[in-house]
Parts: sequence; C-alpha cells; structure tokens
Amino acid sequence: MSELLHFSENELQEYALLIMACVYTLRIIWLLHFKAGRERQAPTGQFRTNTNKGIVYSWMNIAMPWAMESTRKKAFFYAQFVVFHLGVVFAIGLSFIIPYAPGLLESGILTAILQAVIGLAFLVSLVRLYRRITDKYIRAISSPDDYFSLFLLAVWFFFAVFAAPNKPEQGEAVLLTFFILTAFFLIYVPFSKISHYLYYPFTRYYFGKTMGYRGVYPLAKSKH
Amino acid sequence: MSDNRATQSHKAKKLIERMSKKLNRQMVGSMAACVHCGMCTEACHYVLTNPDDPTYAPAYKADRIRKIFKRHFDWTGRVLPWWVGAKSIKTDAELEELKDIVFGKCTNCRRCSINCPMGVDYATFNRMARGLLVSVGVMPEGVAVVSKDQWEIGNQMGVLKEEYIDTLEWMSEELSDEMDDPEAIIPIDKMDADVVYSINPREVKYDPRTIADAAKIFFLAGENWTMPSEGWDMTNFGLFSGDDDLGGAVALRLYEKVSELHGKKLVISECGHGYRSTRCEGPNWSAHSVPFEMESSVLTMLRYIKEGRIEVDKTKNNVPVTFHDSCNNARSCGLFEEPRELLNLVVTDFREMVPNRSENYCCTGGGGAMSMTEYTPQRLKSAKIKADQLKATGAKIVVTSCHNCVDGLADLIRHYKLGMEVTQLVNLVANAVIVPEKIAVEEAATAEKPKEVAVEHSLEKFKILVVDDEDDIRLYYTVLLEDNGATVIQASDGEEALKLAKSEKPDLITLDLNMPGKDGGEVFEQLRKDPGTAQIKVCIITGRPELRRLIYNRPVPQPEGFLDKPVDDSRLLYDIRKILEVG
Ligand code: SF4
Ligand code: SF4
Repeated sequence: MSELLHFSENELQEYALLIMACVYTLRIIWLLHFKAGRERQAPTGQFRTNTNKGIVYSWMNIAMPWAMESTRKKAFFYAQFVVFHLGVVFAIGLSFIIPYAPGLLESGILTAILQAVIGLAFLVSLVRLYRRITDKYIRAISSPDDYFSLFLLAVWFFFAVFAAPNKPEQGEAVLLTFFILTAFFLIYVPFSKISHYLYYPFTRYYFGKTMGYRGVYPLAKSKH
Repeated sequence: MSDNRATQSHKAKKLIERMSKKLNRQMVGSMAACVHCGMCTEACHYVLTNPDDPTYAPAYKADRIRKIFKRHFDWTGRVLPWWVGAKSIKTDAELEELKDIVFGKCTNCRRCSINCPMGVDYATFNRMARGLLVSVGVMPEGVAVVSKDQWEIGNQMGVLKEEYIDTLEWMSEELSDEMDDPEAIIPIDKMDADVVYSINPREVKYDPRTIADAAKIFFLAGENWTMPSEGWDMTNFGLFSGDDDLGGAVALRLYEKVSELHGKKLVISECGHGYRSTRCEGPNWSAHSVPFEMESSVLTMLRYIKEGRIEVDKTKNNVPVTFHDSCNNARSCGLFEEPRELLNLVVTDFREMVPNRSENYCCTGGGGAMSMTEYTPQRLKSAKIKADQLKATGAKIVVTSCHNCVDGLADLIRHYKLGMEVTQLVNLVANAVIVPEKIAVEEAATAEKPKEVAVEHSLEKFKILVVDDEDDIRLYYTVLLEDNGATVIQASDGEEALKLAKSEKPDLITLDLNMPGKDGGEVFEQLRKDPGTAQIKVCIITGRPELRRLIYNRPVPQPEGFLDKPVDDSRLLYDIRKILEVG
C-alpha cells in the first residue's frame, strides 16, 4: 500500500471527520441559539395522544411508510429512499471497515452485500438525478447544491462499489478516489443539503412535540 | 450581510430586520431541513388543480421565503448564495410578489406539513411571512380592512355592540317563544356561570340561527351559562394575517372578559380558526396562561348527549350528510373523532368523504382566503378538488364545524353547481334534540293557533323592493314574500332600483351586489346618502360574499342585513322579519 493511500484511508479521513464534527457542532449551536417556541395552553385532542407519543411517532415516521399519504402513494419512491440511504450508511461503513477492520471483507460475503446495496443506491441516485432534471416540480425547486450533492453521491457510490473488495494490490486508483471523495464528502456535507440528517432529529422532535401535544400525532389517517 | 443593503427598499430592510425577531428554533429547523424531495407536492390542493404550474408546489412557495432566510441568517447562503439558492428581497415589487404567494397561493392548511418526511412545517413559516409583510404594510386589501375592524371595533366583521346585543335579545325572545318558557333566555354577562359561550361575528351578521340553536341546547341541558356583552368574538384575524400582536390582543379581550365574569369554562362555538386561535394559539400569542378551561362546543354537545342531559332523535335528520374537517380544528388541534361521534348520534345517513380526518383537503377558503377578493379566481379553481370530493359522497348536506369553511364550501358549491347545503353540528343537534314533554305539549297547544301566529308574523303591512339582475331569483323572492303578505316591487338593475326606491318608498330593499351597470355597492351608498331613501332598510343578498367589502368600505351606515345566496325560504323570511321587527 502506498503512503498516499495509507494517508487517504487514515489521517485524511480523521481530519475530514474532525472538520465535519466541528462544523456540525457549530451548526447545532447556531440552531439552538434560536429560542424554542412554547405551548402555554392545555393539551388538545384525543387522550390517546400526548407529547411523548408525538415525538416518538414523529421520529419513527420515516420508518412507517403507511403513516403519511405521501409515502403511501409513492411506494416506489419510498423504496428508492430506503435503498439510497442504506447505500450511504454502507458506503460510510466501508470507509471505516477498510482502514480499521479489513479482515471483515476477506470472506467475500460482506463485500458482496456491500456491493449489492451500494450498487443499487448508485442506480437509485441516477434515477433521482434523472428525476431532478426532468420533473418540472423538482427542477423548479432545485439549486446547484441539489444537483451537485446528488451527483457527488452517485460518483461516490460508484467508486465505493469497486473499492469494496479492498484490493490495493490490483491498483490503488479506485481506493484512492473513494477515500478522497469520502473526505471531500465529509467536509462538504455540513455546507450542503446533505446535512439534512443533522436537522432531522430537531425538526421531527419539535414538530412531533407540537403535534403530539395538540392531539394530531399519531395521525388520524383517512378511513374509507 | 451582503446583497447591497443600500439598494434595498425601506420596507424590504424592515422585513429582514423583523424576520430575525420572528424566527424560532422550529422555524429555523423547517427552513434549513428541506431536501427538495418533492414529497409534499401532491399534498397541496393548489398543485392538484394547477398541474402545469410548478410555482404552486409547497416547496417552491416555501423557497421564496427560505431564500431570504438563507441569504441573511444561514451562513451557507451568506457565503455561497447562488449555490444554495439564497437571495435577498430588495424591492417593493418583490414584496408584492411575495404577498401574492403567501396570501394568494397558500391557505396555511398544513396538509403539506404532515406529508413532509423531514417535518418541515411550511404552513407555520408561511404565516410568519404573512406577519412580516403585514408589519411593513404589504397585504391584500381585505386583510387590511378586517384587521382594522378587529383592532378598532373588536371583531372581524365590524359588528357594533348594539347590533350584537340586539341579535342576542332577538334570539332570546325566539327561544322563549319556542320553549314557551320565560326562563328560556340567553343570559348576558351572568356572573359565575359554568359556561361562557363565545361566538363568531358571522353568526350575528349572517347566521343568528346558530346562536338560537346553541341557546336551545344550553337551555334544554339545564346549563348555567352566559354570553359576554363585550369581548365575545372568538375569531381572530391574527391567525390569518400572521400578526401575533393582533392575535394576542384579541385573545386577551376574551380571556379577560371570562375572568371578569368568573366564568368556569369558555365554550367556543363551531369555528376552526376561532377554536385554534382561542384555545391553542391565544395563550402563546398573548403570553398569558389562561386560568379556566376552554373547549369546542362540539365537545360540549357530545357530553350533554352522553350524560343524558339532552336527548336526541336522529331520524329528524334523515338526509345523507358528509363531514368536512376544518384544517384548523383537525390538523392543528386534533379534533377528528368527536365531531363524527356527535354526527352519528344525530343523523341517520353519515357518509365519509375521501380522504378524511388528517388527510382531508382544505375547504379552499381557509387562511383568510375569503377576505382576499383579488385571489378569488385562483381560489375557486383550486376548489375543484374539494368539489369532486364532495360530489363523490352523494350527500345532500355537508357538515362542518367551522364558519370559515361554511363560507368557503358554500361558495364552491355554488360555483361548481353541486346543489348541496352546508350546515353545522349545532343546527343538526338542535333539530334532533327532543323537547321534554311539558314543553312539547305547550308547543303543540301553541301550534293549534296557526292563524294567530301567521297574522303575527305576516308581512302584510310592508312594501319590499326586490333588486336582482336574475329573473328567476326575483321571481322566487317575490312569490315567497307575496305569499307571506308583503307587497313586492321589482328592479332588475341599479338605476331602476334607485328610481323605485324614491318613488315607491319601500320599507325594505333586498339588494344584490353583483349587477351589470351600477353595482349594488354604489346603489347602496346612493340610497344611504339621499335623505329621501336613507331610512329605507336594506338587506344585501349576494352570491359572492367576498363582495361584502364593497359595502364595508363605504362611508355610510351599514345595511340592516346580509344574506348569502343561495338562500332558502325560512332563512330569507327569518332575516326579513328580523329587520322589519315582525313577530
Ligand atoms: S418540504 Fe419536506 S417534503 Fe417538501 S420538498 Fe422539502 S423536505 Fe421534501
Ligand atoms: S399549507 Fe396547504 S395550501 Fe399551503 S402549500 Fe401546504 S398544502 Fe398547499
């Protein structure tokens, strides 16, 4: 293994993670410096609902595709969402497995699973890119960051698929590209829309708190 | 803070400054967290009815506000504005554009909010944007007029105290007559009542029957109740205009009045935004912890039936009905099942519209849309989705616990010619309620004297001028009024109406607003300004309630009555008798 690849797999990732952690911390401090809205009134709604249930329901909402009309009606899009995000988790996992637990990849089973999921995520990212370009609603709300973030992830997935076997002896270019992209990704994320997962717990917490207190969460779904 | 502030208009600068004070953690989260996934797009009734126009998409509309936020408050937008779609707002023309989006393209129904996987609550920050625009004087004319009335007169419709008290007394008399019991009255300002009942000024102005119906239910339930003489308006235009100061002041008036009367519970009549404002948002806007209980009259009526305080016979309401969930009641206050439970107790044929509960569509007149006449065409276009939903039920009556929805639904029913009626639970409960035998026997005895009653309520002495450009409507009113003894003369346009008013000196004029040539507003003003006709009583009857503004804005005394088309026999006679003080 070349020094460059060793550096890319280790120090570079650590520095990138450190930068990301610092920026995230600043981001959270920034968010928390805004005052939290307060509910002074007595709770409304059914007895089956309350603040805590609302918060938990809100956090779990994304894992309950039946809960919202939008995810119910767009089952294929929801499936894409799951695959795409699993791909992100697996690709990040890969960036840790290669430097810290390469033995896990020796059996080949884990490698195959990682490649399959990340490969599917790559395909989903292409579908999403196509959708973002061709769907007039999505195009109308897309910024350069939206396109670039998606493009970045697609490229990253692509290289992750080929980096998964972790065979530097067969050529380092793919592994190098994967780790340099991972580092870039870690540094770029806090500045981009990809940081949404940082906000997710907060937005969902507050929305769930309000809606639970007001008896709206868990949602009373349409009954036919 | 770049984006050259020097080139920014004064109003734009103020808006940005004030935004920093309005932002709270929830809103900042909603601003920052949108991933532009588009999952909320089809949740919005505007999108569903304008499929070719992406500017109606919730995320697109939200981005018009979000980009200002990003440009000034989020460092990604400060550093790389173009990259993340951040942009400041600079000119008054841009403020006007924003106004048309936040007031004209969104009813704050929160349907997109509950469909967003990220928990982005667009409706909430859309309201914030409304408030910011209002604070710099940029708002639809209707919003300005109604807000002014609520600040100055204390209620949204400019109902004066005398008018309110007069209506309560009139309804009180009706109740005593109906129950044949001098104790069956509407108590005003009674101290230490268990229930203080607050209403929507629309009930005074256009629908006093709902006050009488509620009074009947309270009386039969043996409730120790009262209505306040002041601070009685539970509606709150602050919710629609985004003006928290107005919202807080209005809510406080009501809370203080209830406390002054030592009321134990505030019952809020059926009104979605009134319930949300009074029950849920008022304490927050006014930073006031309310020391008494507050509940929707839906819960009160349901409890009376469950506790056996009133009995109902559902066969009295045997026409197919459906139920519309008011967005404010449902998606903002969790009122889903109780109205249905109550409805099932008082009607024989209840049919759900689809979708329903939290997924129901807005009546499309929400968020104050009924007062913003400039957006009426796009509102009615967006109402197609609701019209289809109503039609599919096959119901004859649509029930809703919201006065705003009553107006919105009635308007779309008229526009799409659905031939349905809109009513509220209080009307159905009052119709189904069983009057205990003693009262019923006395009622029957009274009913044995139809001639006396007929004479007492006859319009025989009165001459009425019916003004409407539609022949069949004139004919309908004429036949109905003549059958009830009135002498009727007709005019089909404004000029003719003025001429006949002078020459015939009628006791009352029923006046349409939307007529070719001189419109009803002009005719009304001329009538009032001419000493020869100024004393003639006028009842406006319009198919376009939003045109009431044409009347409110005129510098002359208000008309004696307002009615919305289509108007049924009993309603027309009821109001005309009231105006002419008959019976
Ligand atoms: S508001 Fe929510 S659902 Fe709509 S585009 Fe943004 S993240 Fe997606
Ligand atoms: S709040 Fe309602 S009207 Fe406004 S964008 Fe969302 S769904 Fe559409």
